[in-house]
Amino acid sequence: MRPTESPQIQLDAVSKAYGDVMAVDALDLTIGDGEFFSMLGPSGSGKTTVLRLIAGFERADSGTIRLGSEDVTALAPFDRDVTTVFQDYALFPHLNVLENVAYGLRVRGVGKAERSSRAREALAMVRLDHVAARKPTELSGGQRQRVALARSIVVRPKVLLLDEPLGALDLKLREQMQVELKQIQRELGITFVFVTHDQEEALTLSDRIAVFDSGRIVQLGTPKEIYERPTSQYVADFVGTSNVFDEEIAKRVLKMEGAFALRPEKILLSPATATAPAGAMTAAGVITESIYIGTGHRVHIELEDGTRLVALEQSRGALHPDAAEPESRGDRVVASWSPGDLVPLGTGSSRAVQHR
Amino acid sequence: MTLSSISSTLSRRPGIRLGLLLAAPLTWLVLVYVVALAALLVTAFWTIDSFTNELERTFTLDNVREITGEALYRSVTLRTLGVALLVTLIDCAIALPVGFYMAKVASRRSRHLLVIAFLMPLWASYLVKALAWRSLLSNGGLLDWAGGLVGLGSPGFGFTAIVLTQAYIWLPYVILPVYAAYERVPDSLLDAAGDLGARPALTFRTVVLPLVVPGLVAGSIFSFSLTMGDYITVNIVGGANQMLGNLVYINSGSNLPLAAAIALIPIVVIMIYLALVRRTGALENL
Amino acid sequence: MRTIPTRYTATRTLGGAVAALSLITLTACGGDSGSESTGAVEKLGENEGEVSILAWPGYVEDGSTDPKVDWVSGFEKETGCQVTSKVYGTSDEAFNLAKSGEYDVVAASGDLTLRMIAAGEAAEVNTDLIPNYEGIYDFLKDREWNTVDDKNYGIPHGYGANLLMYNTKDVTPAPTSWKAVFEDAPKHKGKVTAYDSPIYIADAAVYLMAHQPDLGIENPYSLDEKQLDAAVELLKTQRASVGEYWSDYTKTQASFETGDTVVGTTWQVIANLIDPKKASVEAILPSEGATGWNDTWMISSKAKSPNCAYAWLNHISDPKINAQATEYFGEAPNSDKACEFASEGHCETFHAGDAEYAEKIWFWNTPIEKCLDGRTDVKCTDYQDWTKAWAEIKG
Repeated sequence: MRPTESPQIQLDAVSKAYGDVMAVDALDLTIGDGEFFSMLGPSGSGKTTVLRLIAGFERADSGTIRLGSEDVTALAPFDRDVTTVFQDYALFPHLNVLENVAYGLRVRGVGKAERSSRAREALAMVRLDHVAARKPTELSGGQRQRVALARSIVVRPKVLLLDEPLGALDLKLREQMQVELKQIQRELGITFVFVTHDQEEALTLSDRIAVFDSGRIVQLGTPKEIYERPTSQYVADFVGTSNVFDEEIAKRVLKMEGAFALRPEKILLSPATATAPAGAMTAAGVITESIYIGTGHRVHIELEDGTRLVALEQSRGALHPDAAEPESRGDRVVASWSPGDLVPLGTGSSRAVQHR
Repeated sequence: MTLSSISSTLSRRPGIRLGLLLAAPLTWLVLVYVVALAALLVTAFWTIDSFTNELERTFTLDNVREITGEALYRSVTLRTLGVALLVTLIDCAIALPVGFYMAKVASRRSRHLLVIAFLMPLWASYLVKALAWRSLLSNGGLLDWAGGLVGLGSPGFGFTAIVLTQAYIWLPYVILPVYAAYERVPDSLLDAAGDLGARPALTFRTVVLPLVVPGLVAGSIFSFSLTMGDYITVNIVGGANQMLGNLVYINSGSNLPLAAAIALIPIVVIMIYLALVRRTGALENL
Repeated sequence: MRTIPTRYTATRTLGGAVAALSLITLTACGGDSGSESTGAVEKLGENEGEVSILAWPGYVEDGSTDPKVDWVSGFEKETGCQVTSKVYGTSDEAFNLAKSGEYDVVAASGDLTLRMIAAGEAAEVNTDLIPNYEGIYDFLKDREWNTVDDKNYGIPHGYGANLLMYNTKDVTPAPTSWKAVFEDAPKHKGKVTAYDSPIYIADAAVYLMAHQPDLGIENPYSLDEKQLDAAVELLKTQRASVGEYWSDYTKTQASFETGDTVVGTTWQVIANLIDPKKASVEAILPSEGATGWNDTWMISSKAKSPNCAYAWLNHISDPKINAQATEYFGEAPNSDKACEFASEGHCETFHAGDAEYAEKIWFWNTPIEKCLDGRTDVKCTDYQDWTKAWAEIKG
């Protein structure tokens, strides 16, 4: 589904400043109908402001915002066919769960019986019909999150905006909610615009991702494009961990011109005695640290010229042909990778991020 | 017992520790508050020698019978109640928009200035404020002049003057809790209501107001009960009117038991008020 | 001592606080005062260095109100007794304050003295220890408001009438009768004032004595139920025209100055204080006569500084001082000698020493059940009844 086929949200040269700070800088963005679209970036990168501009909580200083075919730039939130799931859920503490969910229907003048049954349906969708009579304070974080979701979808908006909705949940719950969100989005078939600073979440859920930096989009693409082909050091670094070879290091280690990124999982470590596969690029070094991370080890290597690399070694089942004991600290190893896994980075597209 | 053994005993016995800590304030509270109130209650059922003003400690219901039976006490109670309700109404009507503006609209800087501005009258003596209103309301005073511009005079000293002055004096006591209640309403709730389609007026009615009601109730308890007990403002701007406080005052000289019995009226009224408020459930959220 | 304008504050707040406090102390330890007589002191001792005085406004002046009006500084220098004073607005207020035992000396009117004596709040006074006592008019000595059972409880200070004050611009023709605040009150509806105390009922009784003789009122402090009802009725009618009642003299002073009040009862001292630039007023003794006061300096039975108290009683009875104080307040002094020191015409204006004239002023007294006018066939209404009636009048 490409956005250009049937645009649902269109931002043209939208800017928003807070005092001297440009929160959103002449932003162009098109989001398609039924798309799960994520805006990814660190705090202060402008992604939440874009969300609030779409919702109508903030007014753009310049530019136009369209929802469907309608210019909503000057419309108040209550005149936009968009609902929001807030980071803090923003459930009404004086209303019970059912009343919270039915609120949007109530203010639209939907009759009592109908809104009650529709609210129950929405609650059933998030599997919370059993807590309908409770107050929000009596719910767990995950339950509140789902009530907020139900409250937003019950009015059947064309677009659902989600402002870091999973941020406050623990890992297990977060992963479970990610699956549910995706399911619900598929069922409803409406556009989801999802703001997060968690790159893994964005990669998991999204049809497309926009990576934000300083009020601009620095890269826009599918999760695979973003992850596999970051166009800048900033993206390479922000989305997942990357080994970044700047021009100087690239010349020294890779004997190549330009800057490159290399994902840790693309590196194969072998004992110094082993021979590297044909066509592979290699570099010898010493393991300085090997950190167990459950699914494998994160291994830090110092090359002979002092350059540091990070590699990821999967734990493998005993049946795997390459199953072997991992190397440990102080071992001499050879790191090898395919030249095709090297991602050339654009120069000067963004400020440099220090390698972590 | 050495000092260290005392302290080790205390650290093992949190009950004793707490008791010692609270003993002084509790004694004070019991003596000053409970005993005084009990004394008041008891006195209401005594009588007095009419010439020497000496108490005669014989139980009688005469005073209670008098304050419940005489038309005077009914009309003064109704007047006092009317003033208290009007003052509360006016203060709430002012506090709701002002509190909203302070908490949700004003910039941080002007918010601080507003809070200070609304608290400032608290730094002035009660009497100064009442006397200031006396000069505002008096013949040729500011209200007289301003009212003259639109063809009205000053309301003069009397019922209206009492309501205005009391509403002014107790306003900070209502604005503060209301403002605090607004402060506690997260902005995201307002966003959420608008987001779900509620226009501002509806948002206010369905989301903000229910959440501010506890603050409003707290404030109204202040303005209501403080007005119920007042007698000084009445003396200063009330013209020929009297409220329950004045009856207490005038009788405290010549008939203490009757004064005590009259003092029971506002206590009963305030208790009824609190009971009504309690039924709304607003007290639990205070 | 404070200046007059600030006194308002002090009186009011303290009055309230003390009223509340006395409520507590009275109930907690009431009845400690009996009528046990300890007898008067025989000999004076060393002055204690301080004395606290409870008095009507204008009675204890140290120059802070008006630098020319000062009879306290000299006393302090002479005796070493530092004076602290407090003013009160009504006898009821004074009674409550006096009971606190905070005051060594109390200046009391006739509606207070007997209550003080009966409640054991007043100490017997040995007049031999007060040299200036001798010169005082005989008709003020050993009267029912200062002497009980041949025991003297105080030194006469001065006496005067509750006057009718009016704004000469607004109230024309110039009134000569209390009619101005009764029958004619509606002419100045909302701008009439009256003294805020149950004792004001006596003013109505004085008026009724002259205008409704068939009620048979002989003494305005001695009203049977029917007579009281008539007075109450008159005052209820008046109430419709009353703008405000006063017990703080500064309040009524300000009201006359702003024009909020144009006619009503007053004291000479208030008329004297009103700024002629703000309002032109006249205070007269109406044709019906008037109620009035005849004040007594008493010593508290709980006095902490009895010697300084005696010194004060002697000082204030000094003809020169007494002339100054009574002239300032606007009342007749207590001796012929004082008249020598008073301004020209003062003693004539107030008919000082004229025992017959003094008989026409109905000095404040405490109404009691036993009729003061000698009737025995009816029960008279007492002060409690008056208090109740007063509350009803105000409604």
